[in-house]
Amino acid sequence: MAILEVKSLNKIYTTRFGGNQVEALSNVSFLVEQGEYIAIMGESGSGKTTLLNILAALDTPTGGEVILDGENLSTVKEKQMSAFRRDNLGFVFQDFNLLDTFSLYDNISLPLVLMKKEYPEIREKVETISYKLGIHELLRKFPYEVSGGQKQRVAVARALITEPKLVLADEPTGALDSSSTDSLLNLFNKINEEGQTILMVTHSIKAASHAGRVLFIKDGEVFHQIYRGNNSNQEMYQKISDTLTFISTGGELDD
Amino acid sequence: MTNFFYARLAASNIKKNGQIYFPYIITCIITIAFYYIMKSLSLNDGLDSLYGGGTIRQTLGLGCNVVMIFAVIFLFYTNSFLMKRREKEFGLFHILGMEKKHLMRVTGMETFYIAILGLGFGFLFGIVLDKVMFFLILRVLGREVSLGFYISREAIISTIILFLAIFFLIFLNTARRLGFSKPIELLRGGNVGEKEPKANWIFAILGALSLGTGYYLAVTVQNPVAAIAIFFVAVILVIIGTYLLFTAGSIVLLKLLRANKRYYYKTRHFIGISGMLYRMKQNAVGLSNICILSTMVLVMISSTTALMIGSDDLVSSRYPYDFIFYSKEKVYGQTDFSDREAVITQALENNGLTEKESIRLRTLEFSALKKKNGFTILKDADIEAFINDFEVLDFITLDDYNRTTGENRTLNDDEVLVCSNRVKMKSDLFVLDDFQFKIVEELKSFEYVGGGALASNIASSHIVVVKSEEILNELYEYQKEQFKEMAQEIDYIYGINVDGEEEAALNAYMEMRNGLNNLEVPENEVTGRVESKVEGAQGFYDIYGGLFFIGIFLGLLFTVAMILLIYYKQITEGYYDRERYVIMQNVGMSQKDVKASIHSQILTVFFLPLITAGIHLIFAYPVVEKILAVLNLSNTRLYVYCTIGCFAVFSLLYVAVYGWTAKLYYGIVKK
Repeated sequence: MAILEVKSLNKIYTTRFGGNQVEALSNVSFLVEQGEYIAIMGESGSGKTTLLNILAALDTPTGGEVILDGENLSTVKEKQMSAFRRDNLGFVFQDFNLLDTFSLYDNISLPLVLMKKEYPEIREKVETISYKLGIHELLRKFPYEVSGGQKQRVAVARALITEPKLVLADEPTGALDSSSTDSLLNLFNKINEEGQTILMVTHSIKAASHAGRVLFIKDGEVFHQIYRGNNSNQEMYQKISDTLTFISTGGELDD
Repeated sequence: MTNFFYARLAASNIKKNGQIYFPYIITCIITIAFYYIMKSLSLNDGLDSLYGGGTIRQTLGLGCNVVMIFAVIFLFYTNSFLMKRREKEFGLFHILGMEKKHLMRVTGMETFYIAILGLGFGFLFGIVLDKVMFFLILRVLGREVSLGFYISREAIISTIILFLAIFFLIFLNTARRLGFSKPIELLRGGNVGEKEPKANWIFAILGALSLGTGYYLAVTVQNPVAAIAIFFVAVILVIIGTYLLFTAGSIVLLKLLRANKRYYYKTRHFIGISGMLYRMKQNAVGLSNICILSTMVLVMISSTTALMIGSDDLVSSRYPYDFIFYSKEKVYGQTDFSDREAVITQALENNGLTEKESIRLRTLEFSALKKKNGFTILKDADIEAFINDFEVLDFITLDDYNRTTGENRTLNDDEVLVCSNRVKMKSDLFVLDDFQFKIVEELKSFEYVGGGALASNIASSHIVVVKSEEILNELYEYQKEQFKEMAQEIDYIYGINVDGEEEAALNAYMEMRNGLNNLEVPENEVTGRVESKVEGAQGFYDIYGGLFFIGIFLGLLFTVAMILLIYYKQITEGYYDRERYVIMQNVGMSQKDVKASIHSQILTVFFLPLITAGIHLIFAYPVVEKILAVLNLSNTRLYVYCTIGCFAVFSLLYVAVYGWTAKLYYGIVKK
């Protein structure tokens, strides 16, 4: 069953001066199944971020629709949008977006507090998730006191704590060193194996090679996709790498 | 060439950080304008022509010091928060190859620009504000005030010196911070939360001591003359105490709230409390500033309003009759005053005034040293005693008392009635050396024609009603024996109420004065003098006009400053918090939650300064009451009403300013 349906999505920006129109997305369609782990790849300016913002309901498309678990995003009222986002989506950002004013514990509990949960429930969930992500020892610290990898784990904990239908990750490894990247990607695999649907936007081949399916976007269109099938991460890496080379040399794919 | 580079870099830094520099520059301008106005007012020549001009000048001078302390603390703190925001930028410059000395040069140039901007616009704003307020207040008062508008060179110079010194200190502090920091710490600086002061409990104890001492001084002050000096010591102690206690207290309060998980993990409280803890010191200083300014406004406006409303009362208690003639005689009932009274009656007739009622009486008034169990005027009494241990005794006979009040009381030879104007006797006996009387009753109030001058006397005084002229004479002889050539004579007082025009009364007064001056009286007698209510009232209004002006002027000035402070606090915090609110809105915080959280933050601490200002006001009451007494206002109930009224109006204003700035804040943080 598809948890996310993206149907012929268009996004046109009009430049501020003069009426030049830029098409950031044109006719993007794809489905994401429950429990899938999808990576969306593309070069800078390919429309990845625009797509992610639309999926996150932070931006509205010019045409087409996004249906999350049967609910069309365009029918959600402005006032309920925050609650909708909070209840259904989990976010992991490249620059973590942790709040300096909060301890890590409080950062993780933020979405639950916003959902007006009672403290005992908040405590239980924070404890559970922090043990699972191996950050339990750090909870009393503040974001500026821990490393980037640890920060990103906290951000993942914050995204997962609401048990969202879909986790949206925007270049989650972009600010991490290679060992932190590995451990974060393994973490993503682990939570995906437990049934969490993940949609990740990245231009790191390594990150994408951990996903179950990779979508390539070029000039605002879905250009190609690769399924993992029975391939190992290594083979997946090779395939993605070949595809990217192919795209950047300007060739056409037949299939 | 390189100099030019740093100068340009400094200018572009300020421009680039406009969002955080703009409120800071505004703050500098206002603080400078504020100090300049205070200073120039205290140097205004017009003060000399005011009643108690010296005292007012001294008061304003001390007020300048208060503003100075305020300016130092305020500018220092606003600057250090600003620098904290910029640490990342400095770290970057550092890593890009600027040495610390270069960074110091840049910050030095920046501070210099701010100083120039602040002083330039500060004077402009100060002078314009000075002028506008002069104009407006004179319009409202509807009468001339001898304080002219002028631009004081001396004030400008002292403002320049003071603020250049403050800016230099600020620069040294910045340099110190830069000097001791590592680039990587600088890079992270903007994100690190404020640490709790290490010695928070010492702050708390010092604050409590300072505040307690200030309160104690204010409450225990007895002597109105010393009140003004003590008042300022108390004010400074209370200011210091407020800063320390607000810092320690607000941090403890916030931590307690955070420790209460069920309270803390609520959408409304979560963000506000963590945000305030994150910048706990800034928060505390902001709140203390608002609290202190509020207190100043309230004291200033309420006492001035009380004086203004009470001024008619003052006139009638100071001048119980339209015309009052005072003279002296050696022995009770021995001197004939008919020649002097004739001058007065003639003057009334000449000006078409008709006498409504009149009274003649005699009193004996002298100072005595207050001891534990009575009064003494013995020569060998403690001559080292402070002047304020002397109190004034004013004796009149029962006959005169009954005629004045229309009562019909009786007394025995060893009995007296007592009426005290400041401090009650609180005793059953009235003792003056060997004289001893039973106090039949302590009268609440007794206004008699001789009491006007007494009422305006700032020393404690007691009117003692004795049974007969004989007793009065005995007292007269006794004090003559003790005081010798310093002895007092018996006062003869003649009061007249008339029907007629004010103009005529003024003319009659002039005639009486001239007539009395030209009168020949027998040797060993004095001519005496005359007072006129109309003429006195004019003087009163002249005098109090100046006082009202200063009170209202400063009151408004402090109000403006308070509004700006609240504005500054909300705006800067809005910009600081903006990023965080945007993140929270991204992870699902609704506009409703944002509003609820802002309101919760306001309700947690926002009314703390107002409540504390109210408490300060209650403790200031005894000392302000004494100072008002010096200015002749003894109607303390009026002062209480004025204070309550002012507090109510001020609270409304406070709430309105808060509502307005909370909206501004919301506008900044919402996406």
